[in-house]
Amino acid sequence: MRKLLLVAILTTASILAAQTIKGSDTVLPLSQQQAETYMKVNKSAKVTVTGGGSGVGISALIEGTTDIAQSSRKIKFDEKKKLSDKGSTVVEKIIAYDALAVVVNPKNAVNQLTREQLDDIFTGKITNWKEVGGADLKITPIARETSSGTYEFFKEEVLQKKDYLAGIMSVPATGTIIETIKKTPGAIGYVGLAYLNKNVKALKVSFKDGQFVEPSVKTAKDETYPIVRPLIYYYVQSSEAAVKPFIDYVLSKDGQKIVSDVGFITIH
Amino acid sequence: MLDKNLSQKIAFWTFRFLGLFVIGILLWILGFVVYNGIGVISFEFLFEAPRNGMVEGGIFPAIIGTFCLIVGSMVVAFPLGVMSAIYTNEYVREGKISKAIRTMTNNLGSIPSIIFGLFGMALFVNTMSWGDSIIAGSFTLGLLTLPLVIRTTEESLKMVPDSLRNGSYALGATKLQTIRRVVLPMAFPNIVTGLILSIGRVSGETAPILFTVAAYFLPKLPTSIFDQVMALPYHLYVISTSGTNLEAARPMAYGTALVLITLVLIINFSASLLRKHFGKKIGV
Amino acid sequence: MRWWIEKVIEKIFAISGFATTIVILLMVVFLFREGFGLFRSPVVEKGFALCVNASNPVEHIGSSTIKKVFNGVVKDWSEFSSFNEKIVLFRCEDPDKCGDMSKRYSEEELGSDYEHLAEKLGEVIAETPGIFAFVHEEFLPKNIKGVRILEENKIAVDDFFFGLEWIPTSTPAPQFGVLPLILGTLLVSLVAILIATPLGLGVAIYLSELSKDRLRNILKPAIELLAGIPSVVYGFFGLVVLVPMIQRAFNLPVGQTALTGSIVLAIMALPTIITVAEDAMRSTPRPMREASLALGATHWQTIYKVIIPYASSGISAAVVLGIGRAIGETMVALMVTGNAGIIPKTLLTPVRTIPATIAAELGEAPVGGVHYQALFVLGCVLFLITLTISIAAELISKRHHNKGL
Repeated sequence: MRKLLLVAILTTASILAAQTIKGSDTVLPLSQQQAETYMKVNKSAKVTVTGGGSGVGISALIEGTTDIAQSSRKIKFDEKKKLSDKGSTVVEKIIAYDALAVVVNPKNAVNQLTREQLDDIFTGKITNWKEVGGADLKITPIARETSSGTYEFFKEEVLQKKDYLAGIMSVPATGTIIETIKKTPGAIGYVGLAYLNKNVKALKVSFKDGQFVEPSVKTAKDETYPIVRPLIYYYVQSSEAAVKPFIDYVLSKDGQKIVSDVGFITIH
Repeated sequence: MLDKNLSQKIAFWTFRFLGLFVIGILLWILGFVVYNGIGVISFEFLFEAPRNGMVEGGIFPAIIGTFCLIVGSMVVAFPLGVMSAIYTNEYVREGKISKAIRTMTNNLGSIPSIIFGLFGMALFVNTMSWGDSIIAGSFTLGLLTLPLVIRTTEESLKMVPDSLRNGSYALGATKLQTIRRVVLPMAFPNIVTGLILSIGRVSGETAPILFTVAAYFLPKLPTSIFDQVMALPYHLYVISTSGTNLEAARPMAYGTALVLITLVLIINFSASLLRKHFGKKIGV
Repeated sequence: MRWWIEKVIEKIFAISGFATTIVILLMVVFLFREGFGLFRSPVVEKGFALCVNASNPVEHIGSSTIKKVFNGVVKDWSEFSSFNEKIVLFRCEDPDKCGDMSKRYSEEELGSDYEHLAEKLGEVIAETPGIFAFVHEEFLPKNIKGVRILEENKIAVDDFFFGLEWIPTSTPAPQFGVLPLILGTLLVSLVAILIATPLGLGVAIYLSELSKDRLRNILKPAIELLAGIPSVVYGFFGLVVLVPMIQRAFNLPVGQTALTGSIVLAIMALPTIITVAEDAMRSTPRPMREASLALGATHWQTIYKVIIPYASSGISAAVVLGIGRAIGETMVALMVTGNAGIIPKTLLTPVRTIPATIAAELGEAPVGGVHYQALFVLGCVLFLITLTISIAAELISKRHHNKGL
């Protein structure tokens, strides 16, 4: 009898298996949509999605307060080490790709920039648009808050690990970058491809050989656009059974359709 | 030298203008939220989960979440606050100790809510390992509102005339009996008023729940006190600053703001009605 | 038996009586416990170290110099030491991306699990005189000839309080200068109070002296109700309405400025200031007013010569309390001030306040790390500022009581 009860409790527990996904704000809208449709298909599932930034998600994974960490950057060596010190092996599942678009106000005459120019703009060496072929207008660079994977990815890929200029205006979420750039003629910022809309203009960028490429799903897929990053779910091996159904759904055809609907690049 | 009647006229018109100006600003904010939000309110908005990247559907989970936090924080703050007030008002003679306690209560009341968030994260989420959960959020919010509960309870206890206490003692009742049978029943309505005021405070706080309980998206309702929940103020914050399409989410933000304001105003309004009602009764 | 129950219950009451005291003490303990480790942490990120060639005489390098070097601003050792050599930067934070090691050496040479990486790193450092290497301690070339691991300074208290840059994610040396944040916080809240005080006083005078009772009985409770509107709603209003308005009005690049924050905070502070000041004015004893009027003073003269001085300590307590509120306000600052961590020169640039910094960054900072500790020290700073203000307000209103006697 007692055994039966135990079994009953265990099964209900596994049916009610609540999963938490925590981390990157870039992946947030995607995970939210995935969770929404997944729960429609799978009525007993319960998936909680929380943002905070990639770093938040991974440290929550290390502390065991989330089942899946959603991240817009690769796990750092240090973070991996912390997990292995705790005796857990981290599993990495790339669920989609994202191109980072450099965006300006639509009225801005500048259409393209090189990596070096972007570097100089975000580290504060270039402060006026006329220095890069635009109008005589002060440049207002806008960054994400420090917790975001986007912030670090841009810092690594574009600024080559140098610091952003001190006192750069920073906003807590990508949506706000779009809002601010829309209202600010001299602003420049960076957003995931999914966030692009008519209120901002995406610049062509060149990382080498003077080849300027426009960010799009196509250029990201054929790897001509240089600023592309994977969007990743991390979980620990021991919780695989619990998180697998959801992740499988995300990687399935239905799940990948949501990926392209939300505006990211599918894994195939 | 300006004629004194003229200067009075100028001054008074300035004040009238200022008065109207400030009231205008406050009405503007209210009007802004009501005007933009009223069209969004519907049965679906109030009783369904957010859909389609949170630009459609409703805010039901956030309403329930806020409700959970209200109940949870009151379970923490109400007994503790009332007992604390009884102690300072009934047991300690007016003097250094009661003064010290009151100073501490005032000081706690002046600590910014973000500090409570830090503290709640360090103590409840990490040290106690409750994780982000209703219970961690409730304790954080409960402690935040404790000074308010204590202050309002003390005021209500003070309104009970000493003659009643003395009468009770004269009949041979003990201190505890007096408190239970005489003081508390008399003060009860006002204590409830204080409770309602604290609910108003708790339901609007964002900073303390950022790191202790709030979830961005959780369409199902919580099943245990160790679950995370969505909450109205946090929901308003996230949908007005993040998401792929802020413009599409604006109506949801206005609607959430309206629901939040209405909730808080109704709570505070009923508290002030109650206070007026019972205040008169006791005052006699 | 009953006596015992009474005693026990009394003890329970007594414990709850000190609940707020206990909470404050706990807060102090936790904030300081979590934050205090900061000043024992090395300036270089935990788990990493800096190495130079053995011929390099450099001893201790300050955190801001390290930052300048790794940002490429400082390019030669001679710029801050006696060593005459160009700086060669080398980063090895991750074995997969360890400088150009994978180009210099084959996979076999480094080992399948990078077991020879440290040794090879040592070789590289030993043969490059100008090298400045930032290395994970797993691969630290210890006890290798020609390599010197730099001894690390601890994060200094004055670097923290007087440092000019807040870049918590800078590697190798995160910059925790809180001066811009403290100044930003003070600027936003002081300006807010400068705006709110005259407006609030004006309205208080209007309500207590000029308006008809019936109007006052509607307005006063209405204003009190407004004090209850959640700050996130004010923040939302500021974001949607005021930010674009300020941007247009001053023709600014961005509307998220210190001034925007101050205006929203001022609006938030108004109900409190109005209510407290009005109460203080109405408590002026009737004989005092009448004496003044009887001496031939006009109503206005009575107000500013008798009523306002009488109510002044009540009013100043309200103002001080208002400052305290404004300093600690999080959501409004986070949503409308632009969060740029520089020392504000004008009101029309973005600023970053202490509470907004905590709210924006705490989630990210790994628990127990330097960044986390730095945010808790920020919390301590904020705690002490508001506590001081609250005590000041109490002292001011105490003066009021004494005078009343």
